[in-house]
Amino acid sequence: MKTIATCITAALVALSAAVAWSAAPKEGPEGLTDAQIAAIVVAANQADIDAGKVAESKTQNKDVKAFAQQMVADHTSVNKAATELAQKLKLTPEPNATSEKLQKGGEENVAKLKTLQAGKPFDAYYMNHEVYYHKAVLEELDKRLIPGAQNAELKALLVKARPTFEAHLAHAQQVQKDVEKSG
Amino acid sequence: MRVLAAAVIAVSLTVSAAAGAGASHTITIENMQFNPPQLTVHRGDSIVWVNNDLVPHTATADKVFDSGSIAVNASWSYVATKSGQYPYHCTFHPTMKGKITVQ
Repeated sequence: MKTIATCITAALVALSAAVAWSAAPKEGPEGLTDAQIAAIVVAANQADIDAGKVAESKTQNKDVKAFAQQMVADHTSVNKAATELAQKLKLTPEPNATSEKLQKGGEENVAKLKTLQAGKPFDAYYMNHEVYYHKAVLEELDKRLIPGAQNAELKALLVKARPTFEAHLAHAQQVQKDVEKSG
Repeated sequence: MRVLAAAVIAVSLTVSAAAGAGASHTITIENMQFNPPQLTVHRGDSIVWVNNDLVPHTATADKVFDSGSIAVNASWSYVATKSGQYPYHCTFHPTMKGKITVQ
C-alpha cells in the first residue's frame, strides 16, 4: 500500500513538475522572459522618475532643474508606451532579481538625495548618479534586454527607447560638467 | 459661352491656388533626431514635423519659430516665409539639432 502511495506521490510530483515546466514562459538566450524584461523596463524608468521628482523640487540650478523635469517627462512617456504594449501582449510584468535591484537602487538613491543639502553637493550627487544610471541602463539594454526579448514588438520598443537613453546620457554628462565648473 | 467662361475661371482658380500653396516637406522626428537634419525649401513652402518618437519634442529656431511641445504621434507645421538659414533645436533635448534653409 505504501508502495502504491509512494508511486502515486512520485507520479504527481513528476506531473506537476512537467506542467510547471511546460507552462513556464519561454526564456530568451539571456535567461530572461519577456514578462521579466517588462518588469525591468518599468523599474528602470520608475527609478529615474522618482529621482527626477526629488531633484526638480530641491535643486536651485536651472540646468539641473530642466534636466530633472525632462527625465520625469521622458521616462513617464517611455513607461506609458511599455505599459500599453505589455497590456496589448497580455504580459504581466514579473519581478526578478534585476528589476528588484533597480528598484532597491532607486529607493536608496532617493533616500540619499533627500538627505543632501541643496546646492552643489546635491546637484553633483544627482548628476553623477544620472550619468552612472544611464550608462548602466544602456549596458543592460545592449547586453540582455534587446538580445533577450522574444516578442518582436517588445524588441522593437526597446530598440526605439535606446536613443532616448543615449541622448539623456549626453545631456547628463553636459550638465554634470557645468555643475562641476560652477562655484 | 457662359459655361466656358465659368470653366476657364474654375481652371485658373485651381492653378493659382496650387501655385500659392507651395510645396510641402516632412521632417520625421525619430531616434532623438530630426530626419533629414538639413532641409532646403522655397519661400511659401510648408514644413511638417512628425513626431514618431517615444517622447515629446519641439522644433525651435530662436525668435523665428517654435512648435511648443509636439506630442508622441502628433505633428506641427510651419510655412517658411522669409529667406535665410535657420538652425533649430529641440528645447527638451539639447543634443537634437537641425537646420532649415529657405531660398
